[in-house]
Amino acid sequence: MSTPFSEMLDSLTRQRGVRASLIVSESDGLVVDSNLRFGQDGERVAALAASMYRKARLSARAARLGAVAFLQLDAERGRICAVGGRSDLVIVVVADAAANVGLIRMELLKALETLE
Amino acid sequence: MADDVRRWSDELARDPSSLVFLQLGEALRRQGQLEVALKIALRGLDRHQMNADAHDLVARIAVDRRDFARAMEEWETVLRIKPAHLGAMKGLGYVCFQQGRFEDAERFLSKAAAGGAGSDVSNALATVRRSSGGMLAPTLPSEAQAEDPQYLFADLLVDAGQTALLLDASGYVMAGVYLDAEGTNVAQDVGAQLSGISDEVLRSARHLDIGDWKAITFETQAAVVAMAPGRDNSLMVVAASRATPLGLLRRLLERCADRAAVWLGVERNGGDRQ
Repeated sequence: MSTPFSEMLDSLTRQRGVRASLIVSESDGLVVDSNLRFGQDGERVAALAASMYRKARLSARAARLGAVAFLQLDAERGRICAVGGRSDLVIVVVADAAANVGLIRMELLKALETLE
Repeated sequence: MADDVRRWSDELARDPSSLVFLQLGEALRRQGQLEVALKIALRGLDRHQMNADAHDLVARIAVDRRDFARAMEEWETVLRIKPAHLGAMKGLGYVCFQQGRFEDAERFLSKAAAGGAGSDVSNALATVRRSSGGMLAPTLPSEAQAEDPQYLFADLLVDAGQTALLLDASGYVMAGVYLDAEGTNVAQDVGAQLSGISDEVLRSARHLDIGDWKAITFETQAAVVAMAPGRDNSLMVVAASRATPLGLLRRLLERCADRAAVWLGVERNGGDRQ
């Protein structure tokens, strides 16, 4: 089934080392749309990414740092990257630890422009 | 907050000469809507040219937009209208510091401190004196600084835009400070917002089979922020200006985390740092 986000998510998931891409609602942590490879737990990723993004946004507000753009979680065997804009939606990518984060960041920011 | 913004916008639409533009502009600034905030503030300033708080608002927005020349001009105007305005003294101290004018920065901050400004000004003064390479006289004896956890990371921070904070598992501040652009210590607010993140990320990362988490980095309009889990479920948070390369920020995070680990070990073993 094709959705308004399918093309964007396909493009993100085509990047080397990317295991999953999702559109997530920051306020409730639910998946709006996703492109997952086998074995990825989309709901868990969505809940975690939304929560991290919300905490980052609220702490940035407390420190008067302005809006949060790009967020990255580095773990031993993988990374989660996320971007959000003016709406409640956050675009999330799960990638291997060795993936090129610079490239993923650029693609995410490009995808965010499409979303807005 | 959204309700307040709507209410103040309505009030201003009904009465364009209302002083509510001060609250509205400040709220928008805090939300990061700098261009709208500036527009509101300048419109208000047109109608209230001798209002010190209106100039102060424009200056604070200018700082957030990194327009230090405009901020300086506005705060100087504030002091001409209201010579004892603490916000303007703090602001001018900050701008001078950003421009490398340490003596001027110290002069403004010292005046603010003498005028009754809080501990945030003492922290800012300490930063200025540290950055001036010891040319200026310190406010606190070095021994007292060494005993004060607020200064735990002080020597690792290389410019005023950098700040470091150690939180416990509940988000309470253990050491360091978190200074905003005006030199105010917002450590407790930041800690409250980040409380629980370490545990939550730990559990989820394991469930997602990506192993233990090492760092979270995020970029905002004004800064880059990085955090890492530490000893005893603590959280090390560092922030730097947006211009700071992420690699350098990571290095700062590692150095602060190493310092925190040693300090926590010492604290747990009875607080003997000898």
